[in-house]
Amino acid sequence: MIEIAHGIVGRSDLPIPEWLFGWAAAVVLVVSFVALAVLWPEPKLSRASFRPLPGLSRVLHSPPVDLLCGLAGVLLLVLTVYAGFEGSQTPTANFAPTFVYVIFWLGLVGLSVLLGNVFKAFNPWRALGRAVSWIARTAARAPMPAPLSYPERLGHWPAAAGIFLFAALELASSDGDTPQTLAIAALVYSVIQFVGMALYGVEEWTERGDGFSVYFALFARISPWGTRDGVIGLRPPLAGLADFRPLAGTVPLLAVMIGSVTFDGAAEAPIWTGMAPDISDFFQTLGLSPEKALELTFLVGLIAAIAIVYGFYTLGVRGAQSVGGGFTTRELSRAFVASLVPIAFAYVAAHYFTLLLYQGQAILTLSSNPFGFLASNPLGEVGTDIFGTADRSIDYGVIGATSAWYWMVGFVVVGHVAALTLAHDKALTIYSDVKLAVRSQYWMLAVMVGFTSLALWLLSQANQ
Amino acid sequence: MSKAGRWGLIALAVVVVVAAFLIARPGDDDGDSGNQAASTATQTSPTATAPSAPKPPPDGPSATAIELKDHEPVDGVVDVDARKGDPVRIVVRSDVADEIHIHGYDISREAAPGKPARFQFDATIEGVFEIESHEAEHAGKDALIARLVVEPS
Repeated sequence: MIEIAHGIVGRSDLPIPEWLFGWAAAVVLVVSFVALAVLWPEPKLSRASFRPLPGLSRVLHSPPVDLLCGLAGVLLLVLTVYAGFEGSQTPTANFAPTFVYVIFWLGLVGLSVLLGNVFKAFNPWRALGRAVSWIARTAARAPMPAPLSYPERLGHWPAAAGIFLFAALELASSDGDTPQTLAIAALVYSVIQFVGMALYGVEEWTERGDGFSVYFALFARISPWGTRDGVIGLRPPLAGLADFRPLAGTVPLLAVMIGSVTFDGAAEAPIWTGMAPDISDFFQTLGLSPEKALELTFLVGLIAAIAIVYGFYTLGVRGAQSVGGGFTTRELSRAFVASLVPIAFAYVAAHYFTLLLYQGQAILTLSSNPFGFLASNPLGEVGTDIFGTADRSIDYGVIGATSAWYWMVGFVVVGHVAALTLAHDKALTIYSDVKLAVRSQYWMLAVMVGFTSLALWLLSQANQ
Repeated sequence: MSKAGRWGLIALAVVVVVAAFLIARPGDDDGDSGNQAASTATQTSPTATAPSAPKPPPDGPSATAIELKDHEPVDGVVDVDARKGDPVRIVVRSDVADEIHIHGYDISREAAPGKPARFQFDATIEGVFEIESHEAEHAGKDALIARLVVEPS
């Protein structure tokens, strides 16, 4: 067995025990049937209240805060790239891999769900884009409209592609955790963002085309913190998703989000560890080197997982379409896609909870010594201890395996309930007939139960 | 359904779910954990099954032996099973000089022909931890030689 993914950590979770798996699966069924019986007959989330907080909004949107957050984001990007090129190439010793894969990619998901769209303020590409456009406008003393208007057909497709490539780098590339690879990837991604912003405008591109912006903004819609007419305020949790307007490519984006976590989980399961060597051998007979064959194998697995998630959702939508109401598959597919966001969150939270909790601690050490050099070595490279935390080690006692299991199962069950609630609410808004709405929900219920059972199964298959 | 009926159904569902959890959850020493302990003992740390026996000598039958040939495990990647709190003994023999590292516990030991790397520690952290050959890692090869699996006690 060859470990590719998460080469930065040498620890992984124990599979959840059989009894907990059985219990959680039973809970999912009980919850689903109770939901059918008790959920409200009128849409509620779509007409949810919004309490604006103008005072808080003024402070958070004030130019100094805006500038400081943007600057912090840019500095972190620069540090990641610089440490990636100049620092130690041992993934665990260098700041870049842990910062990118753990703090940024996982930590920001949790932060978005709790506090709303935090990334928008710290987004380094948006900050640089706004700075450049401000300079250009000031120099020209005239407004500078974007040369092109963002095409409707493009929608979330660039974002879906961006997240897919990032997942492929993390899960399929054999040197995806190498600091230098990450630095190059960050630069390439930055260039693409600048081109996108130059063509379509900073905000227009960032909201639709920048994969990370779209990714974190989707999770932020779960949170009670939102913005309406430019003012920050509070709303019921999930209400942000009820208002969400899907674009072209949103459904594939969600399939990438759920499918990539699915693949990461399944890659530890016997179903994949048994199959992968055969596929890899096949690619070798086609003349690929063992390393390339293995990378291609994992890429095929990743694509297959995404395709399965997409196919399963589409199947449920076709079922819902069959109950009547005169909707096209595409209309229904987009209508219900927001209910996949809590599912995607449940997948990420359950699968990466302990990675964030344990490896996340390493950032204390790494921020004191971002290049990861030892105190001194023959090449004259000198380690640093900026915050006095360079010698800290990871405390694996913060949570035991049993508590971790309960948290993981908790995330999955709560995600399931949230998804059902959203789908139900959406059905009530789009179907004129309540009976039709409920009948369409048998199909969506089947989809949600399917995704949730898959999540539980993945947790029970870890490291088998 | 009336509002009271709805809340009643939700309350009933919560009661059922909580009761099922309490029934399903294994106690400290019921059959399930006993079985797992027995299967554990087949692979490692028989000290747990024979607490009255005198301490076996290091490198005795109680230690999990791993043999490396050219930095690769002869018997494939095995799991070294333990329960939290159990003593763990691992002996790694290598036909070439190597350094063996246990992740999480962060213990490294040198191994050389005729001088195996000996590990002896208590399994204090739950989870699955990789045991790696540093030489294989430096050579860019698959470094995993075994996994330490520590279940909750």
